[in-house]
Amino acid sequence: MRDLKPVLQAAGFVVLAFLLAAVIFQAAGYDIGAIGVGLVDGAIAGPGAFINTVRWALPLAVIGLGVAVCFRAGFFNVGAQGQLYTGAIASTAIALHLPGPAWLVTVAAVVAAVVAGALWSLIAAVLKVYTGADEVLTTLMLNFIGVLVLDYVASGPLKDVKGSGQVASSERVAEDVRLSDAFGASPTLIAITLLLAAAVWIWMARTKGGLTSKLAGRNPVMVRWQGGNPNRMVLSSFAFAGATAGLAGAMHVLGPAGRLVSNFSPDLGFTAVLVALVGLLSVPGVLIAAVFFGGLQAALQYLPVVSDLPRAGLDLIQGVIAVMITLQLRWQFKRRRERAQQAERQPTPAATTTASSEGSSSV
Amino acid sequence: MSVTADSAPAEPVSAHSVNVDRVLTLQGVSMRFGAFTALENVDVRFEPGLVHAVVGQNGAGKTTFSRVVTGIYTPSEGRVLLGGAPLRAGSVTEARRQGVDMVHQHFSSPPSMTIAETLEFFSSERRSFFSRRGLVREWQRRVDALGFDLDVSRRIRDLSVPERQSVEIVRALSGEARVIIFDEPTASMPAQAVDALLGRIRDLAAEGLTVIVVLHKLSEVFAVADTVTVLNRGIVTLPKTSIAEVTADEVTRHIIGDTGPAGSAPGDVDSGLEGDAVAVAAGDAARRGDAAPAEEARPASGEGVRTAILDVRGLSTVASPSDARLHEVDLVVDPGEIVGVAGVEGNGQLSLVEALVGIRDATGSIELDGVEVSKLGVVERRRHGLRVIPFERNVEGVSSTSAVWENHALGEVLRSPRRLLAVQKLRAAARRRLDAWGVSYRGLDQNAGELSGGNVQRLILARELDDEARLIIAAQPTRGLDVGAIAFVQRSLAELADRGNGVLLISTDLEELKGLADRIVVLRGGRHVAELPPSADLHEIGRAMLGGDGGTDSVAAPSGTETLGAQDA
Repeated sequence: MRDLKPVLQAAGFVVLAFLLAAVIFQAAGYDIGAIGVGLVDGAIAGPGAFINTVRWALPLAVIGLGVAVCFRAGFFNVGAQGQLYTGAIASTAIALHLPGPAWLVTVAAVVAAVVAGALWSLIAAVLKVYTGADEVLTTLMLNFIGVLVLDYVASGPLKDVKGSGQVASSERVAEDVRLSDAFGASPTLIAITLLLAAAVWIWMARTKGGLTSKLAGRNPVMVRWQGGNPNRMVLSSFAFAGATAGLAGAMHVLGPAGRLVSNFSPDLGFTAVLVALVGLLSVPGVLIAAVFFGGLQAALQYLPVVSDLPRAGLDLIQGVIAVMITLQLRWQFKRRRERAQQAERQPTPAATTTASSEGSSSV
Repeated sequence: MSVTADSAPAEPVSAHSVNVDRVLTLQGVSMRFGAFTALENVDVRFEPGLVHAVVGQNGAGKTTFSRVVTGIYTPSEGRVLLGGAPLRAGSVTEARRQGVDMVHQHFSSPPSMTIAETLEFFSSERRSFFSRRGLVREWQRRVDALGFDLDVSRRIRDLSVPERQSVEIVRALSGEARVIIFDEPTASMPAQAVDALLGRIRDLAAEGLTVIVVLHKLSEVFAVADTVTVLNRGIVTLPKTSIAEVTADEVTRHIIGDTGPAGSAPGDVDSGLEGDAVAVAAGDAARRGDAAPAEEARPASGEGVRTAILDVRGLSTVASPSDARLHEVDLVVDPGEIVGVAGVEGNGQLSLVEALVGIRDATGSIELDGVEVSKLGVVERRRHGLRVIPFERNVEGVSSTSAVWENHALGEVLRSPRRLLAVQKLRAAARRRLDAWGVSYRGLDQNAGELSGGNVQRLILARELDDEARLIIAAQPTRGLDVGAIAFVQRSLAELADRGNGVLLISTDLEELKGLADRIVVLRGGRHVAELPPSADLHEIGRAMLGGDGGTDSVAAPSGTETLGAQDA
């Protein structure tokens, strides 16, 4: 293997997070044995459990692939949630209101979702290119706007007037337009996910854009001196990430959900960021991490059956993983910056000492 | 007390016993970074009431000097005394508390703060609570009292460079400074504001402060200073001398270090220099050896006049914080020619390289091998044969956290119109080229950051000096390399020129320029101020770089040569 260390590190974080959570659950007086059994049953062993795991793994993988492309190019686009929602809105509008044969409506709804997600994401990209606005802030803030837009649409223009009125939601999408039943692990959805994964893999490993954005994520200055176009890279990375999140929105509405509900899956976009990071921004990694976090999500729904652990309990595990990954990224970043400062300070002596120390260490 | 530039003697001021606490003394100060010696056994005493200039080239130790004096660095040997008591080193704040303050070359004030907030922030007085209005009132009063024309409610980011400098000076003065150090205060200042600043500096000395000014323009030294001290490669080559007792030519000679081969510097520090000279000689020999056939081929292959590889006309850039802007620079590189660009760092070299590469907006025309490329992007220029060995190999040159093969492949990949990559081919090509260029690496997937400086530079050469290269811009290509790597890089550039390509060599190492270049162009303040043959002596190049003693270059040149000749004889 080329580099096993980061893989072990990522796996180590996950294990550590579980241990830490176990300690906390124990201290809080929960029965960890029951929680453990519940996790395994809910994610894999129980009846229909694995189907449910796959059902959640699919959108996580799709969004996670887009996030990975963006992060790999050095852009911290954390706006998947809002992009997911705009995609879901667009696909619902098309699926409910476009006349025509079912297959055409389906295709149009998916395309609309992809375009809507990409456009939503491009808002942040354009702000970054033309004003230099930090993408972490803009994408994060756009999420809140996305939540409110969805709330408005689901309780306004697309509201199901015949519904109970308890939950703001749209009418149900016609059965023949949908991509899966309520279990959400249909061959169509799986095929879409795997095709996307294959395409992203080829792009990352075998295209000019893939190589350029990978190097730009590490050293944008060098890529610029070699002729890479940083603005185009921002726009295309953001558009792609938005498109995948939008696609996940369509897969949700046309898939297991069957309709648009206000504030659906409120953590999906953020969990997908974890999927991308734990998956080390690589395609196989993202797929594995998506199945893992999908399993957690499935277990979350099953756990109340065997334990009185509240929902926040499993959020805790994800939270701990997120904190550890952030710390690690921060640490790497700090180290890199220190090295850069060292090089900057006193150019002549620093360069000389680095050169000599590197010279002695190289074989 | 009034001190004027011409009459002030350097020593008698110590008689003013009142001001003894303002005397700053360096006793046997040496500063080492690992094996590198930045300052060697510096003894100097700065008295109050005078402006003391400290001058030298880049890398002469000026910055280290000011950092030792302000307590940022603790000297490896020797000590710094302020008023007879050792200066406690450790931090800028610590030095400030003791009365040593520095006006920085680059301003460190936060751009979003107002002047009043900045001054309060850096003030040694601690008020826990204050109102915004009270702050402005208080600081406006003090700024007015000091005679500065500044509105303290303005924000730092809205200020011009001279205004920012004024803020720095006010900050230093409000902190009860006894010694003020100016680090290249005129470096980023428009010419018309320089006189006012120099006047201000003189006033500070007249008020009885000890003022030390780190400078590299000789005209300014003679305009402002009472004494001058010259550093060259960490050694004081001209001990503090009253300005009335030296000429600009003498100072220049000490700066460049052209005082005869034996006497200039002790061996341990100078070993690098000798190494350079040997390497240059080696590169030169290799070059001249191959030059003969190339020389014969030249007229034969060209029908009539051969087009220049690089023909730059009236190249100008806009101002930037990092470097001087270019003013109407003309530059020609003919086939087979190495054109050297000399100049003190910050005089437009970075602007020139960035404008040629295509990552800085510029006006004027750039013809590359007969094709006008000034409107083209970086990739298109590279497709026309432009290649660059950048200033900072780990910043602009390689991505140190990416694989060796990826770093090598990117150049070719971006130039090629193909969107799909043949990864195996690219890896094979990288292996072939890296081996041919003698890069020692463990594997193609090893990160470039794990290579030594010399090997990173070889990797960059392997990527940039391919068969389609026509013009190579080599910016400080040997900086920080060991002797062997220096010789290799220089030989490579010479061979490239011999194959009929053009090389633009930007270097602060004058020996390197003299050894390699066919012509040496001097940039000063972003202008093309001189063009000299490689046979020009260091003194002549140095004067063009530093701007001489205020007289015009053509007048100053003959007298300078005479003086030098007399000294050598």
